[in-house]
Amino acid sequence: MPRIVVDGRAIDAAGGQSVIEAARAHGIDIPHFCWHPSLSVAGSCRVCVVEVEGRGLDIACNLPATEGMQVFTDSPAVRERRREMLELTLLNHPVDCGICDKAGECTLQDYHYAHNGAASASGERKVRATKFHALSDRIVLDNERCILCSRCVRFTHEVSKSHGLGILHRGDGSLLRETGDGAFARDPYSDNVLDVCPVGALLSRSSLYRARVWYLQPTRSVCPGCARGCPVDLWHRKPEWRLNALDPAKNRAIVRVTPRDDGRPEGPWICNKGRDLAALFERPRAMQAMLHGRAVPLDVAIDAAADLIDSSKTRIALVSSWASNEELAAFKDALGERFTTFVKEDHRPLPGETIEDDFLIRADKNPNATAAAALFPVRGKPMSAAPSGQPPDLVLAWGEGFDARGLPDGARAIVLDAYGHADHARADVFIPLSIQTERAGHYTNFQGVVRAFDACFDKPASVADAQELFAALAVGARVPA
Amino acid sequence: MSASPTFASLVPEFDALRRRFPPGFESSLVLPCLRRLQEAWGHVEDSDIAALAEYLAVPRVQIEEALSFYGQLRREPVGRWHVEVCRNVSCSLRGAETLLERLSSKLGLAPGDTSADGRFTLSTCECLGSCGTAPVVLVNGVYHENASAPEIERMIEGLERA
Ligand code: SF4
Ligand code: SF4
Ligand code: FES
Repeated sequence: MPRIVVDGRAIDAAGGQSVIEAARAHGIDIPHFCWHPSLSVAGSCRVCVVEVEGRGLDIACNLPATEGMQVFTDSPAVRERRREMLELTLLNHPVDCGICDKAGECTLQDYHYAHNGAASASGERKVRATKFHALSDRIVLDNERCILCSRCVRFTHEVSKSHGLGILHRGDGSLLRETGDGAFARDPYSDNVLDVCPVGALLSRSSLYRARVWYLQPTRSVCPGCARGCPVDLWHRKPEWRLNALDPAKNRAIVRVTPRDDGRPEGPWICNKGRDLAALFERPRAMQAMLHGRAVPLDVAIDAAADLIDSSKTRIALVSSWASNEELAAFKDALGERFTTFVKEDHRPLPGETIEDDFLIRADKNPNATAAAALFPVRGKPMSAAPSGQPPDLVLAWGEGFDARGLPDGARAIVLDAYGHADHARADVFIPLSIQTERAGHYTNFQGVVRAFDACFDKPASVADAQELFAALAVGARVPA
Repeated sequence: MSASPTFASLVPEFDALRRRFPPGFESSLVLPCLRRLQEAWGHVEDSDIAALAEYLAVPRVQIEEALSFYGQLRREPVGRWHVEVCRNVSCSLRGAETLLERLSSKLGLAPGDTSADGRFTLSTCECLGSCGTAPVVLVNGVYHENASAPEIERMIEGLERA
């Protein structure tokens, strides 16, 4: 383990680490554009310049840490060179911060404030380039903002392997472009370039101009899109920046989704389905409890469900593979004894969706089938007959994907669901539930990794929280009237 | 030469080139193959990009990058006479800009354009490595050094009659 000294502080570098990596591992951040911890070294932006005793200026991202190295990240020579490099990077960069979605989380903006701050030394006209080039129907490119760091290009070569982006032409006419064969538009991981880009050159068309980032806050969450259960942040308006004048739905909207780097071996990436969680969560909801399609208050429906359970003999439950570990455990505790329980596949692959690949995407499109199967290991066809041989006289269906036509003759149905469906009106009892963004919990992914998610918003009063609901349905929970 | 060449007919030449490189250096073959293709039909066709990417098993983007980086490589056909004026420093200092303007009005073409009858293409190009004899004009690859406007105009008139 080479020991190096950075600005007077001795640190131990792991074998093979570069100076930038060793410094970063010890909390020292050396400015960088082209370097990215999960990509190869390009060494093109030169902003990571450091001074090494005995050998002068060099770039930290391509400098192996060697025993006894004395590194200075802020000597006068470094400051001067870094300022010059920033000047060059900004030479043709437009002053767009006021209208740029990246403002507030842009490293070019941050470094300019921290390390340069001066107005342009050049009196020449800036080179103009395409301001709105659609790289795909998901991503728009502003070539004037692009600093040609090539991070996005390397992402498509090294991570997603679509090879869908390249830098065409040369010099100050260089342009980032997608290849002519549409490989980038087909790349199911393309949106990761939005986070990889250090500036506001690559922008999401779905969240374009929707909010300044400082009005938003991230909530820790887990993507329910498949059994990988990628860690994500869901971004929504901060409570203090609620828009009173606008549609209140905007205050409960997920504006964007970004990967949350929890150090997992797969790296800080998610697929495009994970980016589109807002649309998945914000589908039309079920908000009203019903008895045979007739609207009733929530507590009336819960009472009716308890009566149905008490009065039936052979009970079958289909539990949701979108339920959290806590909700599944709550079901087992409260009702496990009274039901023969099967795990239901709430979601199946949609037409056109990538079913499975050798990177992240899994064929099981449910986040918690692993935990559900561990708690409820019964196999077989649920509707035909309970293990007793008796056809069921009560079916409790929890979550989406329940086909009411499969109900045995004469059986009653209790349906619990968060999203709207015409079949709900046919259930004897229908109880609407909260969605993932309205509660906290954990999912267990297919590798057995347990990840936590937090609530972004309050639960609407007319829908039930599944954990509370099961506790209320447990034997003896009801206070006799 | 008998039949006009096709991509497939050039493959034996590409194979021979390939033997001169160690395995795994397919991307180094992009440039010589593109040069050969351009030599064969004057420019690189869109279909050549896909065919070469497949032949070399390199990502298509590497070919597109090389094609756009090198000014000498073209994706469009040029006219019977291709007149190129160097626009780099030495030539510019020695009057290349005026030369280009004169040629432009003589031919009635903006740099980059080809005449409707397909006889002339006018372009600018990068340094031709002949700064000592600037300005330099290239006509179908032949150097015209210390080029003066009247001389080049006379030559064009000769070509117009040719
Ligand atoms: S678009 Fe962004 S990530 Fe890609 S080369 Fe330009 S600055 Fe870098
Ligand atoms: S790989 Fe699966 S869990 Fe990860 S972002 Fe995509 S759909 Fe979500
Ligand atoms: S970060 Fe080191 S050269 Fe760009």
